[in-house]
Amino acid sequence: MASISFQGATRRYAADHPAALDDLSLDIADGEFCVLVGPSGSGKSTALRMLAGLEACDAGRIHIGGRDVKNLPPKQRDIAMVFQNYALYPHMTVAQNMGFALRISKMPKDEVAQRVAQAAELLDLEPYLDRRPKQLSGGQRQRVAMGRAIVREPQVFLMDEPLSNLDAKLRVQTRTQIASLQRRLGVTTVYVTHDQVEAMTMGDRVAVLRDGVLQQCGAPRELYERPANAFVAGFIGSPAMNLLELPLADVGASFEGGVVPLPRDSLASATQLGLRTVTVGIRPEALRVAATDDPTTTVSLEIVLVEELGADAYLYGTTPGGHRLTVRVDGRRPPARGSQVGLVVVPEELHVFATEGGQRL
Amino acid sequence: MSSSTAEVASGTRPPGGHRLGRGLLLVVMCLVAVVMLYPFWFMIRTSLQTQEQFQSGSRGFSVSSWSKLFHDLPATQQMLNSAIICTCAILIILALSATAGFAFAKLQYRASTFVLLGIVAAMLVPMQSIIIPEYVNLSRLHLITSYAGAVLVYAALGIPFATFLMTTYYRGLPDELVEAGVVDGLSYVQVFARLALPLSVPALVTVTVLQFIQIWDDLLIGLLFVQNPDQRPITVGLAALSAGRVTDIPVLMAGSLLSAIPAILVFLFFQRHLVSGLTLGISK
Repeated sequence: MASISFQGATRRYAADHPAALDDLSLDIADGEFCVLVGPSGSGKSTALRMLAGLEACDAGRIHIGGRDVKNLPPKQRDIAMVFQNYALYPHMTVAQNMGFALRISKMPKDEVAQRVAQAAELLDLEPYLDRRPKQLSGGQRQRVAMGRAIVREPQVFLMDEPLSNLDAKLRVQTRTQIASLQRRLGVTTVYVTHDQVEAMTMGDRVAVLRDGVLQQCGAPRELYERPANAFVAGFIGSPAMNLLELPLADVGASFEGGVVPLPRDSLASATQLGLRTVTVGIRPEALRVAATDDPTTTVSLEIVLVEELGADAYLYGTTPGGHRLTVRVDGRRPPARGSQVGLVVVPEELHVFATEGGQRL
Repeated sequence: MSSSTAEVASGTRPPGGHRLGRGLLLVVMCLVAVVMLYPFWFMIRTSLQTQEQFQSGSRGFSVSSWSKLFHDLPATQQMLNSAIICTCAILIILALSATAGFAFAKLQYRASTFVLLGIVAAMLVPMQSIIIPEYVNLSRLHLITSYAGAVLVYAALGIPFATFLMTTYYRGLPDELVEAGVVDGLSYVQVFARLALPLSVPALVTVTVLQFIQIWDDLLIGLLFVQNPDQRPITVGLAALSAGRVTDIPVLMAGSLLSAIPAILVFLFFQRHLVSGLTLGISK
């Protein structure tokens, strides 16, 4: 088990191109499950591959267990990796696949067999040990890829979108399996995904990246409740937070003919920066449906789409001022499509960001 | 009435046009088979006659041409010579094309594309145009009195296409497989030997079969680059048969048949591998 530390790690593929990973500084504690999340091209996979030694580190340092691994080949880093496409060796059986790394390291055969058997038991792979990868289903292949990593008992697990090839139901099932397995084994894990739901449900901490730059790193709840900027606010949470660009007024922001009161600190920061507009973030659950003639109503919404998920329903609609909003309501009696509802904004749950730059105010 | 009944009906009775097409295809295929197989039939029939029977056109059966072939000609030795030359050249071709192909496909080094293009361009150079300088070079190196000269020339002629084929094949292997090997502790040489090579058996077999047929059936290189009569391949031996004043056609046919057998056997034995793909199941 080991801690991981990125210290200004940078990867640049060409001098005239922006860095794929720009000055990443991130500490991951021993035994922690850290998820790197971001859209395509955010540099999350690059960071993982740099940690694995599959990608060079052009500037900065990377430490695993206090040891600088920048110039070490992958095999000396004591890591195991699970690939997106599993990368199982097609000419070997499941048992051979799982024991391959151990055999290369000249471990005695009995010990290899014992470790493979243990991992197979842990992952319910015992009936398949003599099969080849092409005879397995997607979920079984994924478990073999996990098993291949587990038998090595490495200091660090690296996982590069290991669930993206599974169907939705299996993905949810495997998600919890991986998370509980990691807690049981206690191995420091870095997990890359573009799926923010995976990130929020699996990670002890989540690091959000965009265009090669770390935006925020924190516990899932922290990211949800106090996003550091408008990008994180929009990326974390499903459905996404409503982000409205609104002009500043005396005690808040002008919205649909009225004023939405903003926190005093946010207003002070905005005034200090000389801003005229701010980006106000409202989570779908921070909007409460009321009757249109309710005096507390902030805005009315014409519903264009209702998504019913059972327990909840999501209303998608437009305001008279042309703002598009998403609202979460009780799934039992959602308003009908085409109807008008009044919305009450809960002021305590507003997030305020600078329109330029997007930082939290 | 359900649609399933209709489907079953249509399944058992294909449309008339479809059946006609299949029938026509069968006739054409039979004709092609006759055209392809007739030379073999001619060779077999003629090799089982005497020269007199063949010339007079009379019927008859004799194995004298076969005994003559082995008695008058060093046919066994020449077959062995062909086998030695073929095996050595193919081993060189496989070793170089597999390693080069892996390097071009997976170790993208600077200017690798240009080097590959250069090798592929070498495929376009006609063999006849380089044969004189090759001859001069190899004779200066005293290599034309042994197998070595022919082996080297065959290898040089076969490597460009083989490298191209192997590069294409290795490009089809996912990069993740190589990376998984590297993370598991393999060096690139070991990745090649333990992962890429076993997975490229179909491509290696394809190269082997194509090169075997080409080298085994070739006359020109053997004629020029194997000057020692004891080391001549079978094709040169057969050419010598027809170089005399009178050519014994049945003996020539027996020799031709004998020399064709290994190439046919190699093809029949390996044809299953030629079309099979081993890479299924690497990923999703």
